Amino acid sequence: MNTKSTCLPTFERFRAVNKAFPKTQEISEIKQRGEKVFGWLCTYVPEEIIHAAGILPVRITGYPREMELEDANAYLYINNCSFSRSCFQMGISGEYDYLDGVVAGSTCDGARRLFDLWRHYIDIPYSHILTVPRKFTSRAHSLYYDQVKLFKSSLEQYLETHIDDAKLLNSIQVYNEARGKLKKLYELRKADKTPISGSETMEVLNASFRMTKESFNKHLDILLDELSRSREKHHGEARLMVMGSVMNNPEFIKSIEDLGGLVVTDELCTSTRYWSDPVVVDGVEPLEAISKRYLNNYPCARMVPSEERFDRIKKMIREYRVDGVISQIIRYCVPYAHDLPLITQRLQEIGIPILSLDVEYGTSGSGQVRTRVQAFLEMLEARKR
Amino acid sequence: MSSAGTSTKIETFIQTANLLSRMNRSQPGARESRTLYYRMLADYYNNIHRARQEGKLIAAHTVFFPTEVLYAMDIVPMHMETTTWLSAFLLKEQSELLAKGSELGLAPEICSPHRGVAGMFALQEIPKPDVILWSNLICDNTAKSGELLMELTGSPGYFLDNPFQDSPGELDYLIGELKEMVTFLEEVSGKKMNWEKLSEIIERTNKEIDLYREINELRKAVPSPMNISGYLELISADYLFPGQVQAIEYLTKLRDELKSSILNKEGAVTNERFRLMNLFIPPLHLLGSLVNIFDEQGAVSVAEPMFTRWSDGKLDPSKPLRSVAQKSFLIPERRSMYGPLKGPAIPDIVESAEQYQVDGAIYWAFMGCRHTCAAIKVIKEALNEIDVPMLTIDCDIIDPTVNSEDEVREQLMQFFEMLEDR
Repeated sequence: MNTKSTCLPTFERFRAVNKAFPKTQEISEIKQRGEKVFGWLCTYVPEEIIHAAGILPVRITGYPREMELEDANAYLYINNCSFSRSCFQMGISGEYDYLDGVVAGSTCDGARRLFDLWRHYIDIPYSHILTVPRKFTSRAHSLYYDQVKLFKSSLEQYLETHIDDAKLLNSIQVYNEARGKLKKLYELRKADKTPISGSETMEVLNASFRMTKESFNKHLDILLDELSRSREKHHGEARLMVMGSVMNNPEFIKSIEDLGGLVVTDELCTSTRYWSDPVVVDGVEPLEAISKRYLNNYPCARMVPSEERFDRIKKMIREYRVDGVISQIIRYCVPYAHDLPLITQRLQEIGIPILSLDVEYGTSGSGQVRTRVQAFLEMLEARKR
Repeated sequence: MSSAGTSTKIETFIQTANLLSRMNRSQPGARESRTLYYRMLADYYNNIHRARQEGKLIAAHTVFFPTEVLYAMDIVPMHMETTTWLSAFLLKEQSELLAKGSELGLAPEICSPHRGVAGMFALQEIPKPDVILWSNLICDNTAKSGELLMELTGSPGYFLDNPFQDSPGELDYLIGELKEMVTFLEEVSGKKMNWEKLSEIIERTNKEIDLYREINELRKAVPSPMNISGYLELISADYLFPGQVQAIEYLTKLRDELKSSILNKEGAVTNERFRLMNLFIPPLHLLGSLVNIFDEQGAVSVAEPMFTRWSDGKLDPSKPLRSVAQKSFLIPERRSMYGPLKGPAIPDIVESAEQYQVDGAIYWAFMGCRHTCAAIKVIKEALNEIDVPMLTIDCDIIDPTVNSEDEVREQLMQFFEMLEDR
């Protein structure tokens, strides 16, 4: 990718939030006011409900770099994914000691055991796990809706408060606003020359689950305005999509872009799958609308049938005019590993090359990864000639 | 070429099981239940082998799948994980299957029996199933293996979504899933579900579960009447023939033999020194060596709560489909491996250690089984609280390249020495 980093004031603000996380100034202020902060694991946890209860939901993520995870290895064992272990290492080290609650979904083996051990070893006043079905059927929706209702009433009981529809509708509006603005940000990346790079977009997304949504929305508005006026443009030798396991390290994307590629989109739970699909309150109760959105959202590899996910990937490839796909799968991330032969075949059928990388969470993409990406970019370049 | 298509492996299973059954019968003092066990294996694979000839469909399925439904519909089940386990245990032919799995693009972190299954289908070493059935009980591997297998075999499939927690709503969800699966199977097979037969199977399943509970009680005896391979045979009965006469016959015989051994004060090993709890499954390709090591050292496996400790409850044959769903909440593996750790999983293990007067526990840390390994520390701490030491051995249940017999022997010997010192 040929251009410098974006130097926009609002972008720097997002970067500062990420640098300070998990102990940001905003979180400290919230705690000082005696308000609560909850951590959530996985995109199947409906954030709006936590928000409607007057609590700041923050996404639990791990270290932004590859780390020795000695404690977590002993607790979660070495064969659980490094995302779970990295998050747990931070938890057990007290880096999330301000959390008043942890909420998870039964989404994958790593996530549910991370939740189990968090609850077992880390002192936390409130914890809850939702059963998340793996299907999109009406029966699955009904079960998940029940689970969402159960979560809401559990939270109400814990807080001794009532979360009414007005509060839920307000939260839906705030969160939909964030989704809409992130969508606009992604739209900018469809251009030949984009005002924001893939790694910078990752910074914005990281900030989106570490700030109050109201503040994030305000700042993203300004950033969108700044980007519309920015003269800096990014373009690369190849337009790339990154997909696979949970990954929120801008450095990883940057290492790809430093080699000449431009990451124009992704299929990650920390990125597109976080903001895609609004909650549609259309003749249904707000809580039901929330539950529909979360189960129907751009699916994780855990869901069956996988074709739903594959179709959306192919659609994005067309929309963003992607030349090649980089799949990064964290070791022991079984759902994505099982899907890899299938998605590889689907992409081959539409003539899209795929580079498959086995990584650890937090990797910055150095060494062998760099060499392989370089070779992949050269291959893509050769195809264009 | 057999009537079931390319089924060399199936024929070899049958021949080997029959041979072992005959060898066991000819051994003086050998348990008749073991002969029945090998006969059960031979019957199981004979059913698969004859399926086409008899005009029956073959349904390949993942572990802990409610095959009672298949038996009631006269569809022949083919337990995929057991089939790869047997490749390792009986034939030692797993390396080729795993290599084929890798060739298909399956990462080495994926559970080896699932890589092996994919390899087996790709190599066409087992009959092409008419239908693929899979479920998320017990892990992401079981949840995610079905779609690739459907592509490899060109067979239709059904994914049975098993809920995570135990609540009335989740039970109803599972019943709904089962109803839908029955409809799917009726469409594929062109046959209607035989509800009367399913009720009979449930009736027998109650008997089967009672037999498991009786056997568990008998195994509290000192000296222990069963050795380490005994428990793997024990759990196979429900995996292969749930609610079927073969399982009842085998479990009844085993129960009677255990009763008789206890009455005569005959232990499984001549000089019982160590009463052990086995957690998870030892490497199956090393089973013969483990039996020898345990025998030499006077070690017995007295309890395996993750696989043998059934929950309380009885099934209602007048509500057969509800009972099938309920059974999946009664099986030991659900509590210990699938559901939330907060609950009976850990207390069950601790209580078993106390009830069975366990001297030590061995956790077979199968690297492909992430969710069970994540509980190792919690279990170890809970057992330490009651002064039961736990040895953890990293292993793979079928892949011989992960650890050698010598390594395992050395770890066990050190553990036995430590137990002896205590």
